[in-house]
Amino acid sequence: MNRNIRRLGLGLLACYVALFAQLNWLQVFKAHAYNTSPDNDRAVVRDFTRPRGTIASADGILLAQSVPSNDRYQLQRVYPAGDLFAHVVGTFSFAYGSSGVEQSWNDQLAGQTARQQISGLGQIFGGGDRIVGDVTLTLRADLQAVAKQALGARPGSVVALDPRTGAVLALWSYPSFDPNALSSHDFAAVGELRKKLLAAPGNPLRAAAFEDRYFPGSTFKIVTSAAGLDSGQVTPATPVYPVRTQYVPPLTTNPIKNFNGEACGGNLVDILRVSCNTAFAQMGVDLGAPIMVGAAGRFGFDTTVPFDLRGAAQSFFPPLSAFERDTPKLAQSAIGQNEVQASPLQMAMIAAAVANGGTMMVPHVVADVRDSNGSTIEQTTPTVWRTAVTAPNASILRDAMVQVVRSGTATLMAIPGVDVAGKTGTAQLGTIPASSHAWVVGFAPADHPVIAVAVLVKAQPGVSEVTGGTVAAPIARQVIAKALTVLAH
Amino acid sequence: MTSRARRNTELGLIVLAAFITVALYTLGALGRTATLPANIGPFLGIVLGLLVVAHIATRILAPGADPVLLPMAALLNGIGYVFIARVNTRLAGLQATWTLVGVGAYVLTLALVRRSRDLRRSTWTLLLVGVGLLVLPFVPHVGRTINGARIWIRVGGLSFQPGEAAKIALAAFFAGYLVDRRELLGVGTWRIGPLRLPQPRDLLPILAAWALAVTILIGQGDLGSALIFFTLFVVLLWVATERTSYLAVGGVLFGAAAYGAYRTVDHVRERVEVWLDPWKTAKTSGYQIIQGSYAFAWGGITGTGPGLGDPTRIPEVQNDFIFAAIGEELGLFGATAILIAFLLLIGGGLRTAVRATRPYEKLLAVGLTTLLGVQAFVIMGGVTRLVPLTGVALPFVSYGGSSLVANYVLLALLVRTSHDVAVEAGEAAVRRTRRQRRAERAEATVSG
Repeated sequence: MNRNIRRLGLGLLACYVALFAQLNWLQVFKAHAYNTSPDNDRAVVRDFTRPRGTIASADGILLAQSVPSNDRYQLQRVYPAGDLFAHVVGTFSFAYGSSGVEQSWNDQLAGQTARQQISGLGQIFGGGDRIVGDVTLTLRADLQAVAKQALGARPGSVVALDPRTGAVLALWSYPSFDPNALSSHDFAAVGELRKKLLAAPGNPLRAAAFEDRYFPGSTFKIVTSAAGLDSGQVTPATPVYPVRTQYVPPLTTNPIKNFNGEACGGNLVDILRVSCNTAFAQMGVDLGAPIMVGAAGRFGFDTTVPFDLRGAAQSFFPPLSAFERDTPKLAQSAIGQNEVQASPLQMAMIAAAVANGGTMMVPHVVADVRDSNGSTIEQTTPTVWRTAVTAPNASILRDAMVQVVRSGTATLMAIPGVDVAGKTGTAQLGTIPASSHAWVVGFAPADHPVIAVAVLVKAQPGVSEVTGGTVAAPIARQVIAKALTVLAH
Repeated sequence: MTSRARRNTELGLIVLAAFITVALYTLGALGRTATLPANIGPFLGIVLGLLVVAHIATRILAPGADPVLLPMAALLNGIGYVFIARVNTRLAGLQATWTLVGVGAYVLTLALVRRSRDLRRSTWTLLLVGVGLLVLPFVPHVGRTINGARIWIRVGGLSFQPGEAAKIALAAFFAGYLVDRRELLGVGTWRIGPLRLPQPRDLLPILAAWALAVTILIGQGDLGSALIFFTLFVVLLWVATERTSYLAVGGVLFGAAAYGAYRTVDHVRERVEVWLDPWKTAKTSGYQIIQGSYAFAWGGITGTGPGLGDPTRIPEVQNDFIFAAIGEELGLFGATAILIAFLLLIGGGLRTAVRATRPYEKLLAVGLTTLLGVQAFVIMGGVTRLVPLTGVALPFVSYGGSSLVANYVLLALLVRTSHDVAVEAGEAAVRRTRRQRRAERAEATVSG
């Protein structure tokens, strides 16, 4: 009998091994699928019923908080500022995923970081709440409001940075959306609304200011200038580019022309001031592809920006291989056309790097996270991302950009009594129908900058006379002017 | 290992089981309310006290028994209690009372059954008792139908499932019945072509058992018990006769009955369909199993922590689905610990069977172990969707007095058999009753 008893033992063992395998199937392999299954609201209830910290702007305006609700989720997330901060603060939605700070700083808001959980252990026996984090942004509600009002109902983006720290002061894109409607506990209505927003013109759910990229046009000439200066081949005085209306790069017969067919040329300051296409195209070709690609890389092109919000676009400058035997492409790239693309955030960072003596800081939207007693849980320390251009050359660029505002294409940025530095851009999108992106980047005060901005007003069909200098520059001026009154400098 | 060493090992394991139980209870209360339970001191005292009583009874009445059996049962009982208390405080009080009764039944069984082979004399009585208990729910005024199964009786305000006790009585009956007939059942051969089957006459018992199982299935709607009962008999027949053909015959009969039931009995078909795809009926018959799967998934590898899960989403979680609650809050680790505890119980039982020299003790140990091991597998497999769900209690863990008391009696019989085997092997002293000692003295006087 013993042989069969042992066989019985093996048989039962096999049954239990099968049970163990099934447990692994349920608890390891299928766990994620089951936890996120639409008919399983365990995670929804957990996330919604859990206390959650507030989000406030740098100037103390409450942007997100959880208030008691009378349904099974106990708490309702509300956004008092409505659409003003929707792209930064984001939404807190289980059914459709969170976005913005609500997403990327979720662990701190919910008290789930290792540090918060360890400090929370001390409260377990006292019956205390979990330690949630209150997030303070670097953005100011007053600047954000000015950006929104100045851009108005034109699709586009406004980004303002503190060039010394990389702190984002304003980040606005039109169109935006109301996060309150998307945070309702009526998931069916939220689903409908989402569908509607996804189909809406201008894609309001998308934070165009850092998630999308556009042709930078002439604002890119800052990078070309920096490439020339750092290579030693260009100085403020030399070379002097010939005054002409068009430039034909080698290997093509298609000329690059100036705006309105004007003739221009001269030294670096002259050509930057009037944004001379022929001169900068020639500068790019003279410098050669390796130097241009290197400078674009130092300004952050072709690298993902280390940003504390998810989804930051990677700006694009063609790789070295793309320029082999293609000088026309290099000439067009040098003036921010062809395949060159940058996000508004990237262009603001380029202006900020010049303002900050050539050093580009890591951009961030969160200043600190504190517990309910006000003690700091986490703090963002300003971090250098890369050196875009040498300090002496940054100051040469700065002086040239001051000239652009004084007597060049960006005169509408000028503020009495303050030296403002700027550079316009008009990226032609096509001729039928004629349309273009109007750009401006800049910073102020020029000798000790506290704010750097980038403004993009997206293509408006049928408008052919739109240029950065007339459309975008006044918006930048309003934001800078407001910043100079509210920021200490 | 001497008797004393075995009992000391058992005491150590019991203290460990008690502390695991109390620690889980404390963590569960902390997890839910963030406060220490007020009654934690008395709770520890009662748990330890009960277990020590069971231990002392074993030390006196069955000192040579396997030291793993009682602690594993105690651990399972303790974890089960913690989870019942966690999902339903009212039932926790009842379960505590039943645990008290269960430990009492354990001691009483050890005291009454002094040698396991004494049961052999009662073989046919046990059949009567077993069948009587099985049909009790059909008696008018006593029987009750709960959740579609007529397996309950109600006496004086308390409900019982007599089937739980019937399984043990029938296991003991089978052991006694087969011990007498295993030679006969093993010799005859009936050749049909290449098949070597037992002679038709020898097939009668297995057919009778099959008929009984089908009757339970159809009459009471108790799929799980029918399955366990039939498996028990086939396994015992196979072990007793050492003829694999019985396994084959049993398998064919089982398959035929299962297919027939699938085609004709609505709730059997429903169980199979829910097993194959619970999401097809996610709001109705599939709801419980889906919530069970979600509970396991939510627990993941390490679990949510005691008191931090949400197991009451599963309907009737304290009964058949208690394993899902454990899987949720203690994770894969905790659920695996339960599996290991059952495997250790099975191992202890089968070790006893292998070491036993008397066929009756072998078969009794095999029967009791199979009963426990298969029942635990059937319900854990059902809850995890490894096999179709058949509603039976998870031994020692699920809420329910009948099951708990019956399993303590089963444990006592295993412990008793294990002790008898140790005595036979000369590892433990024969413990005589006062009357036996007096008789021996008288005998010695006469011969002297």
